[in-house]
Amino acid sequence: MKYKILKALDVAGLQFLDPIVRLIYGEEPKVQLSKIGRFIVIPILAFIAFLGIWGYVAPKHATKSGEVPTPGVVANAADGIWTFHKRENIKSRDYLLAGDRKETSLTEAQDRLASITKAEKAASSKVAEAQSALSAEIASLQAPHKKELAELKAFNKTASNSRKDSLSELAESVSENSSSEREAYLDALRDHNSLSALEKENEKKISAKIDEIAGMKYQPLIDARFALKLVAEEKQFLQKRVEYLSKNNRSEKVAEYEAKLGEYEATLASSSGKELEKTGARILRQEERIERVSDSSYAQPWTFPRQIKRSLMCVFFGFILASMIAIPIGILCGLSSVFMAAMTPFIALFKPVSPIVWLPIALIVVGGFIPDPDKHWFIDSINSLPIIGSYDLNPAFIASAITVALCSLWPTLVNTALGVASIDKDHINVARVLRLGFWSRLFKIVIPSALPLIFAGLRISLGVGWMVLIAAELLSSSEGIGKFVWDMFNNGSSDSFAQMFVVVFVVGLIGMILDRTMIVFQRLVSFDEAPTSI
Amino acid sequence: MAYLELENVSIGFGPPTSRTEVLQNINLSVAENEFVAVIGFSGSGKSTLMSLLSGLQKPDVGEVRLQGQRITSPGPHLGMMFQNYSLLPWLSVYGNIELAVKQVFRKFSKKQLKEHVDRYIEMVSLTPASWKKPHELSGGMRQRVSLARTLAMQPEVLVLDEPLSALDALTRAVLQDEIIRIWEEDKRTVVMITNDVDEALLMADRIVPLTMGPKATLADDFPVTLERPRDRATLNINPEFKKLKMDVTNFMIGMNKEAKELRVDTNVKMPDIKPTHFHAA
Ligand SMILES: Nc1ncnc2c1ncn2[C@@H]1O[C@H](COP(=O)(O)OP(=O)(O)OP(=O)(O)O)[C@@H](O)[C@H]1O
Ligand SMILES: [Mg+2]
Repeated sequence: MKYKILKALDVAGLQFLDPIVRLIYGEEPKVQLSKIGRFIVIPILAFIAFLGIWGYVAPKHATKSGEVPTPGVVANAADGIWTFHKRENIKSRDYLLAGDRKETSLTEAQDRLASITKAEKAASSKVAEAQSALSAEIASLQAPHKKELAELKAFNKTASNSRKDSLSELAESVSENSSSEREAYLDALRDHNSLSALEKENEKKISAKIDEIAGMKYQPLIDARFALKLVAEEKQFLQKRVEYLSKNNRSEKVAEYEAKLGEYEATLASSSGKELEKTGARILRQEERIERVSDSSYAQPWTFPRQIKRSLMCVFFGFILASMIAIPIGILCGLSSVFMAAMTPFIALFKPVSPIVWLPIALIVVGGFIPDPDKHWFIDSINSLPIIGSYDLNPAFIASAITVALCSLWPTLVNTALGVASIDKDHINVARVLRLGFWSRLFKIVIPSALPLIFAGLRISLGVGWMVLIAAELLSSSEGIGKFVWDMFNNGSSDSFAQMFVVVFVVGLIGMILDRTMIVFQRLVSFDEAPTSI
Repeated sequence: MAYLELENVSIGFGPPTSRTEVLQNINLSVAENEFVAVIGFSGSGKSTLMSLLSGLQKPDVGEVRLQGQRITSPGPHLGMMFQNYSLLPWLSVYGNIELAVKQVFRKFSKKQLKEHVDRYIEMVSLTPASWKKPHELSGGMRQRVSLARTLAMQPEVLVLDEPLSALDALTRAVLQDEIIRIWEEDKRTVVMITNDVDEALLMADRIVPLTMGPKATLADDFPVTLERPRDRATLNINPEFKKLKMDVTNFMIGMNKEAKELRVDTNVKMPDIKPTHFHAA
């Protein structure tokens, strides 16, 4: 059992859990503890230290979008993103509810709304309290400075006036043709001006101090405002919810339209001539409307988790496309030196091209194939697939996937070619002795022996694809993580700044998971004990 | 007409500027159902000879023929067992043998296939390791897999390149008997490389020594006329066996000496000095 677990951990690339399992089974506790210290505790400590430094440094740097968010703010932002997503899901479910379940949900939401309204009042009075406390604090802190300033100003004024008086006197007393006395006057005037400037400067310094106090950070107020914001958001959500459970609910709408239809039908029974024509048209229109509404669903906005899923789907499409191109071509390259020679210039030329160049080309080409995305059979057919369809795949998505493919196919291609070309001569000899035909030689000897290298290439490709994807989405504004970042950047509030930090961690985490998954595959296909790098 | 035949065969490697002629002027004819053992020093070209016989390499000069037909390509009827085993590392013991058997016996049903493969795995006592991959096996186990694979193909000609060199004496004895049994029962022709004169004498009808390379060629052969079945226990005291063993060994040693003498003498003569006196202890 123990060895099975250890083996599974090994294959899954989770070797750092190995000492814990061994410790549980009581194997050499000292060794295991030191391993745990090295491979688990130290990384965790390093991460905590990183958070600490970040939290300390971040507030020191102010930007146009507000302060650089601290870890706490980023965590709040992540929480906010998640709450938004959950609420949108609830709304979309509410829209479709009908009957008893709708009614119970409605009362529930209304109760909650009542209590949240109270809570909002409390929160806003808290804010007002904090505000007045802050004002008092500011006033008390400012008072000595203000006093100092007033005194300084009065003092400076008298000094300045007396200097001005003496200057006028000096001007009066200048004798008619003494240039040196005129010079002296000018010098005195210069002195006066520089003294005045100095005095102004000193006054400004004190005013700056006063301003600084006025803009001081007051944590209770920040907290109170944040609490109020949360409550207000929830209130708004609950109001919307109530709406979707009552008059904006699908079944309610359908019922309403059907009632109308009933009226029209009643009119129809007793109408003729022009009247009949009009009512008939109305009835048909109403029937159409009912049909449309009864299979409509809530127009869910693009929440971050949905964008993540769409990004994953995009990278997956691109990756599959890249593999479908790269592996066959790589195999051909490895098998035939002529083909390899023919492909080399293309590989050398296209490999370094940046995604930012491929994307517009892909957009144009895809746009050429799909001039009207709303009425194209391909788009329609993929959007009518069960789960995939709800992600609204459009030409921008396809272009992004193609860009991902174009940028990520090279490592797989090169590795596959290398793997196939460097097949062991002994294995070829076995194939010759057995007189394997071309296809069985390919599938039983060549590909299996190249598989570890192919998977190493695929792993790099997936990593590249994931990095490229974000840029591609950002540029093509195809809904996804890249689009989210772009929207946040254009928002420019300090909240969206924190959300961008959330994106950093999410992208990193997903990239890591993808890489780990590929490592598992790589290990499963590798036949020798050669360890795969972490 | 000989069954398997090499006529005036020469082969070398490398570009013309730095060419090593490995084998020169090789003439060998093996009769049908004959068991020939080839012995020779390391690096003399034994494996090269085997790859010529199995069609994996073409001679530069001369011809290799099977039943009068020139051998142009390798095939499963020329069952080559490679010196370095050449197992496919991504397949298990079973998978390696299965691949060969499937290719040779295309008409086998699934059951027949499994029985056949299992029989040969059993023969080399690897049943408990059937599902292991080559990298999980010891050197000797790998050699046994390779042997089982070659035998399982039931080739008309067995071309065995040091098939038992990595095995302990006991396993080796069992497999020697097994090869002899297959050869006798199924009427095969065997060409086997061995570095063990006892083994050659025990198994072969004829021992063919390969001279030292480069430009190695075959020396006069030693027919082994010992009566079959040869019993390992009594063989050692059989005078004919003893004589043959002596002859072959002496021939090989002589060849080694000859080769050394042919080379430029690099031994520096040491002056013949003796201590003139010792200090008494
Ligand atoms: N593909 C090759 N290219 C160049 N030289 C080769 C090649 N194959 C064999 N040789 C040379 O031919 C000579 C004979 O090699 P071979 O493998 O036949 O020796 P061998 O008698 O089987 O030795 P051993 O008993 O160690 O297996 C060696 O000197 C080797 O360097
Ligand atoms: Mg050899």
